[in-house]
Amino acid sequence: MTPPSETMQASKEVQLWVGPQHPGIPGNMSMQIWVEGDTIKRGITHVGYLHRAFEKLIERRNFYQTFPLVCRICVPEPDTNEYLLAAAIEELAGISDQIPERAQWIRTLVMELSRLGALLMVVGGQAGGVGLGAAPNWMVALRDYVLDLFEELTGGRVYHMYIIYGGVRRDLPEGFEARVEEVLEKIEERLPTIDNLIFESAVFRKRTMGVGVIPKEWADQTALTGPVVRGMGIPRDVRKDYPYLKYPELDFDVVTEDGSDIYARALVRRREIDQAIDLIRQILAKMPKDGPVSTRTGNMLRWQVPAGQTYVRAEATRGEFGYFIVTDGTDKIRRFHVRGPSYVHGVSLLERMLPGLNISDMYPLMGSLQVCPPEIER
Amino acid sequence: MEKIVNELESRFGLLSHREQRADLGEVCIRAEKTVNVLEWLKNHTGYVHLTHFSVVDWLEENEFQLTYLVTDPDAHHTLMVSARIDREKAEAESIHALWPEAVTYEQEFNEMYGIAFPGSPRQGVEFLLEGWNAMPPMRRDFDTVEYCNETYEFRPGRVHVDPKEVRMKFQAEQKRLAEEQKQREEATANSNEPEPQP
Repeated sequence: MTPPSETMQASKEVQLWVGPQHPGIPGNMSMQIWVEGDTIKRGITHVGYLHRAFEKLIERRNFYQTFPLVCRICVPEPDTNEYLLAAAIEELAGISDQIPERAQWIRTLVMELSRLGALLMVVGGQAGGVGLGAAPNWMVALRDYVLDLFEELTGGRVYHMYIIYGGVRRDLPEGFEARVEEVLEKIEERLPTIDNLIFESAVFRKRTMGVGVIPKEWADQTALTGPVVRGMGIPRDVRKDYPYLKYPELDFDVVTEDGSDIYARALVRRREIDQAIDLIRQILAKMPKDGPVSTRTGNMLRWQVPAGQTYVRAEATRGEFGYFIVTDGTDKIRRFHVRGPSYVHGVSLLERMLPGLNISDMYPLMGSLQVCPPEIER
Repeated sequence: MEKIVNELESRFGLLSHREQRADLGEVCIRAEKTVNVLEWLKNHTGYVHLTHFSVVDWLEENEFQLTYLVTDPDAHHTLMVSARIDREKAEAESIHALWPEAVTYEQEFNEMYGIAFPGSPRQGVEFLLEGWNAMPPMRRDFDTVEYCNETYEFRPGRVHVDPKEVRMKFQAEQKRLAEEQKQREEATANSNEPEPQP
């Protein structure tokens, strides 16, 4: 007969499935956790609810047909995908140096507008994770102004397919710069109120300060990137470390915070909103006022790219986003493999951080790691 | 890049190497030396980050290419360490002891390419698929259309609409109506003719 003490031990742990339909889960994924009381003992990330086989589909498409697929890999910030695909194929096709100056500036502008929109959403979502319901609504309303700009520029609010091989699809509309400035002013006007609502809130501070602390030695052990590593006081940013587009010509410092907790990561993202606004203004001021926005690439439907292999990277709001691409000289990509920051942050790092965490802190933690399931599944 | 290539050449022997960009290079090694090379890079050089890990299916050559992207965060340089394994005996040494996040990659490649990483946790555990019993789907000889035709049924009641067929039906109907009209007109014309007098 089992001793009573062991039976008690066995019944102490409860296994829970959280998600994919759960307000605290960031997207279509689920967590299998074992809890004792309200303390998590261990957990496993489960993905696959959103697997659309983009990597397989792209192996069967010609080069031009890949754009509508890649932008769907990340919903809040699709332009990083478009840029990376274009940059990788341009490099393998040997036309990287032929991208017009104005096209490169417009690409940089699009990347920063996209970053601004994504940051507004995630900072609000972070506050929503601890019960501050007004913040995400206000932030998403501000993000909508950025989406209005994208709608005017590209015709699409969420998925743009604007950055293409050789440059961008079309030039900026007349008066676009002024409308960008209007939107920036509207956002700046609201930010102090939002700061009061989120960062001065006792609820937010108590729920996030000293919670979800990542030990510094993990930064190199698991190759952490983005606000996760910058919240640990480590100035690591692809825009500075591996300069691309026009970032070397822009004046900015890498934003860091020392807390290494959820609050520090939220603060990094909040300060990066200011940084993105500043960078957009710098881009608009430094951008050449006219010139071509794409180079002649011939009929892209008939492209055949020489055999090669490369890895390109860019700084997304979540961290280092990379594309590993192999071509074999035909009209299709041989291998297309996405390196999304959530692949590390949302699986191995999250599972490593869960033991000992209070169950109610799991949602703010996932929000602070900015886990994005589509880039885990691709 | 040159220094690290010379070191690797003298210690492990390289099959080839090349520089893709100033911040990206590639070295090709024999598969049996993979773990030794990566371990040396991690413990004795600055290449401490496993930035990415990928597989390429070279079906025509009956080989899988495993590429490990390791990065030196201080020198801002990434090295693609590539090795090829036999496609028929798809098995490679696990690197999860070097980088814990490699477990996820190895779990995914086991599921998607059928490559075994003995000793790696979560081998055979479902990652993205559920109840999959066909060929690993990322292999290049996996035919998605054939799999769908064999596995799934078209929903009953779905109406097949081919614009060409619709057009042909419309044209046939028009032709039929025109002929009927013509026959009616002829019949009317015949009925109006005066009957022959006896």
